[in-house]
Amino acid sequence: MKKLLTTAFYFLIPVFIFIFLAEWFLTGQLKQSREGEYAVWNDIFNSEVNSEIIVHGSSRAMVHMDSQIISDSLQVSCYNLGINGHNFWLQYLRHKELLKYNIKPKLIIHSVDVFTLTKRPDLFNAEQFLPYMLNNEEIEYFTNSYKGFKYYDYHIPLIRYTGKYKTIGKVFNELINSEPPDSCRQRGYAPQDHTWNDDLEKAKLKFPDFKVQIDTASYKLFDEYIRECLAKDIEVVIVYTPEFIEGQDFVKNRSEILGIFRNFAEQYHLKFLDYSSDAISYNKDYFYNASHLNRKGSELFTKKLVYDLKKYKSNKSKVLN
Amino acid sequence: MLFNSIDFAIFLPIVFILYWFVTNKNLKLQNVLIVVSSYIFYGWWDWRFLSLVLYSSVVDFLVGIWLGKQNNPVKRKLLLSISIAGNLGLLVFFKYYNFFLDSFVDAFSFFGYELSTRSLNVILPVGISFYTFQTLSYGVDVYRKQLEPTRDFIAFSAFVTFFPQLVAGPIERATNLLPQFYSHRNFNYARAVDGLRQVLWGLFKKVVIADNAAEYANLIFNNSGEFSGSTLALGVFFFSIQIYCDFSGYSDIAIGIARLFGFNLMRNFNFPYFSRDIAEFWRRWHISLSTWFRDYLYYPLGGSKGNTLSKVRNTFIIFLVSGFWHGANWTFIVWGALNALYFLPLLLLNKNRKYLGNVADGKILPDLREFGSILLTFLMTLFAWIFFRASSLEHAFSIIAKIFSPSFFHSIELPLKYLIVVFLIVLFLIIEWQGRMNQYAIAKIGTAWPRFFRWTVYYSIVLAIFFFAGNSQDFIYFQF
Repeated sequence: MKKLLTTAFYFLIPVFIFIFLAEWFLTGQLKQSREGEYAVWNDIFNSEVNSEIIVHGSSRAMVHMDSQIISDSLQVSCYNLGINGHNFWLQYLRHKELLKYNIKPKLIIHSVDVFTLTKRPDLFNAEQFLPYMLNNEEIEYFTNSYKGFKYYDYHIPLIRYTGKYKTIGKVFNELINSEPPDSCRQRGYAPQDHTWNDDLEKAKLKFPDFKVQIDTASYKLFDEYIRECLAKDIEVVIVYTPEFIEGQDFVKNRSEILGIFRNFAEQYHLKFLDYSSDAISYNKDYFYNASHLNRKGSELFTKKLVYDLKKYKSNKSKVLN
Repeated sequence: MLFNSIDFAIFLPIVFILYWFVTNKNLKLQNVLIVVSSYIFYGWWDWRFLSLVLYSSVVDFLVGIWLGKQNNPVKRKLLLSISIAGNLGLLVFFKYYNFFLDSFVDAFSFFGYELSTRSLNVILPVGISFYTFQTLSYGVDVYRKQLEPTRDFIAFSAFVTFFPQLVAGPIERATNLLPQFYSHRNFNYARAVDGLRQVLWGLFKKVVIADNAAEYANLIFNNSGEFSGSTLALGVFFFSIQIYCDFSGYSDIAIGIARLFGFNLMRNFNFPYFSRDIAEFWRRWHISLSTWFRDYLYYPLGGSKGNTLSKVRNTFIIFLVSGFWHGANWTFIVWGALNALYFLPLLLLNKNRKYLGNVADGKILPDLREFGSILLTFLMTLFAWIFFRASSLEHAFSIIAKIFSPSFFHSIELPLKYLIVVFLIVLFLIIEWQGRMNQYAIAKIGTAWPRFFRWTVYYSIVLAIFFFAGNSQDFIYFQF
């Protein structure tokens, strides 16, 4: 028995050294990554967001609102925190971490859509949480209800990297190539140079009678979030960005969902800007699928948004004066 | 608790230390520890079903004692019937109730009668098919007077619940495992290290090969309508690798852990995909179940003795029951029937025991004839796996129709990273081939290689598990 324990001890020493070195190396490298969602999380945790205007939302926020145009037009700093593939539950996590490490924004432009108050079962793009999730209670609380990580992933070094050979490969790739990756985001904004694809036709064929189910916990959290922002003197503008007209009938209870956001706006006296019927929503050239604008569309839309925000601001100040 | 979980990685060393350092002086205490650990292990999944394990243990323990006291043949038969009914009753209720009910309703509706029935939302308890068969064999062996009934309930409970093999086998015989609980276990360094090596290899098979193959097998089978024949054929191949590595990986871990505790479990797989005909395949695949059916069903039916009709009948019975054992679905029954059809010609031509030794014994590669036989047997097995994996017979036939269509010659419609999995599978098959003469593929390096090379292999496997572990999937055989 003594021999077994001694052998096991000597065998495990390099394993433990590897665990701590690999944890240090992988996490350290990912914390410097400029790729995709890593870049945004890194800016949040490194206090590099520090902006007066914050854009919150899903991929629609991420690809629809050009931070630079907003910044230049309104003469204030702006950062787009849109999180690809996720609903409000994780948008709120970003918001929480933002407030912890950065200055409080003055204005939040919250991009909502039919899926904002739903919750998907899987933790899409779970890799984005790898560098910051070890012993982070906030991330654990908001991500552990998804099918993705287990308890030990949040508390034991390196376990969460098991099987993530693509992420590990990416780390080495970034280490070797000094060039920033193509998927680099510009103050969080991720313009897309795509042309129209057949996503909508496929989705309509697959789900001819699609209805969105509201997640009660997300609904309550959204309510809490607005109250929290108002209490902290952060102004919130709710925006329903353009959606291609032919795709607007895909979700059968769309108007009911829009009604929920309208009610929120009414209840808390927020501005609700709905671009569903805007001219952009009728022009396929501005979209690459029914719910996402391409670069041309998003630049045009951001200019319109800025114009409407300016108008709203000036009306508001007139009222206040 | 899953073998490939952190929970188990914490559980195992605790039990190991308690077993060898705290309870090692007292055999009874060691057995109590095994029972308690096994109940924790099983209860981790769902504690409510511990009652079933306890029920199965109590029924067969009491039946055993009564059988030992009884000489009246009628009463002995009655006692055996109680054991059989008690075990199969559990199995039928939890596993087959809804299947029988639905089939009954379908049969009536075929003749124009609409029956109103209510299906029950029955949860299938993990491992029920394994431990009921294990306890059943005890009752039968005692009835046949091949085994003395035990009066030690703790040892018997340890035999029924022994955690390494409780939920997915190997299905042990009381004649092999039960006596091991009566005698003092001595720690043996070589055996423990060999056990650990087998555990490591089993983990590699499960976590790296099976779980990665499962990702594509699931994707392709669950969306079969969207893929061409070539991709579907690849999906069947992935599934064949998944099921082998998943189940034999589990068996390797179970056998290895048992060795750590000083027990010897029976071998469950013997490189079945290198078989040269289907009879050899069935001597090498899920050996503990095949031999169980052989000893407790096939031989009592007359086996291969008797006239041609009874040989055909017995072969079909054993394969159909074996298929049905895997699940309450017609797909498993067709899978069993298909294997019976493969096996029958060999039996009738008296060629079913042609290949009893190892393939290409003493050679690096098989000759062309051997290679052809292996390939043909593997292809036949692949075809049968379609039924095993498909969700329904219609699903299976739709896959077959596509595979045997011109779309078989289309290019594979998967992201290129599937090639990484193919590479890992090829590497795995090479290692399996070179180690086919041993109990498990990397057994030989423990005795033949110097420490530096041995440890290099172990560290490589650990690194492979770290880098390439697939998304954790339940062991397939848990559902059976």
